[in-house]
Amino acid sequence: MLTKLYKHTPYYLSLIVILTLGFMLASNNSNKTFQIGVVIAITFFYVLWGIMHHLINHDLNAKIVIEYILIGSFGLAVIFFLLSTSGNY
Amino acid sequence: MKDFFLHLFTPKESNNHRAKILHHTNLILAIALLLFTSFFVQRLKESFPSVLGVRADISSQELLDLTNKERQSNGVTPLYFNEKLAEAAAKKAQDMFEYDYWAHASPTGKTPWVFIKSSGYKYVYAGENLARGFSTADDVIKAWMASPDHKANMLSANYQDVGFAVKIGELNGEETVLIVEELGNLNMPIARAKTAEIATVSQKTTAVKNITSVDRQPLINSLSFGSNIYVMIILVFIFVFLLDMIIIEKKKVMRFVGHNIDHVLYLLLILALAGILGKGVII
Repeated sequence: MLTKLYKHTPYYLSLIVILTLGFMLASNNSNKTFQIGVVIAITFFYVLWGIMHHLINHDLNAKIVIEYILIGSFGLAVIFFLLSTSGNY
Repeated sequence: MKDFFLHLFTPKESNNHRAKILHHTNLILAIALLLFTSFFVQRLKESFPSVLGVRADISSQELLDLTNKERQSNGVTPLYFNEKLAEAAAKKAQDMFEYDYWAHASPTGKTPWVFIKSSGYKYVYAGENLARGFSTADDVIKAWMASPDHKANMLSANYQDVGFAVKIGELNGEETVLIVEELGNLNMPIARAKTAEIATVSQKTTAVKNITSVDRQPLINSLSFGSNIYVMIILVFIFVFLLDMIIIEKKKVMRFVGHNIDHVLYLLLILALAGILGKGVII
């Protein structure tokens, strides 16, 4: 597992950097619309980055693309759930 | 039962070496369930606010005490409660609910100064802080103090008086607690020391007259209810992805699926966002 992690270090590092930047961007602005915009942008990036990574590794197939889209949609659905229960938007 | 859970949460031969909960059909089901629950919870909040609603316990006296505590610890003189500013704050809150907006200026262009002047407070300096969706006065003050602009307003030596309004109402179709803080000064700040001597002390007080407060205790607090379920769902999925990764690595099974680390990192971000998105808002 560690070998695999080491092999993909630049990919995971860039993903961590972008996700962290997105989090910082969202937390430094109290505007809910802006924060939701950042979450959607990050989700889009995560799906795209994941697909690109598999494409580079030559192991991309339709099921993998659907998996990333579904996990991204799941993340957005959970956010929607939180916002609808808290009413803070 | 044990087999069912193992089938659902761990990769086995029976689930084609991928935890059943992570299969596409189950992910679609989870998304649909989340969306359905969101709409159901919203309807429940509207129909039975005493069962599921915004739990809040905020009073203008608490807000004043906490504001002055912050001012004193920053070496600024305390603010005095002013009934005219409290009236202006109440008018502003009412206007926001009536015309359904969340801003310092109304859609018709009415600024905070209109409410302050119409209440009979002839200010030289005035300011306004707004907050919504908070459960306690402490959280409101902390949020204002964390924002440079709101903090500058709260700690400004230009202000001498303050008035608060705490009201529950509907904004954008959602029930919320609105907190309005109007700050002002009738005199030029530099001359305040002299005029303070002339003014009768009895007119100025750090105690709030006609306390406006919100003390709503529904059976289930929708704020914590939503956050707890949110955190629980994400933690379950993170746990399943990690478990899936470890077991597959041990068994050395070859399969073509997405990288679990990607999903875990993304879900960790979504988890961290709960602390930001679930909180109240200030402007």
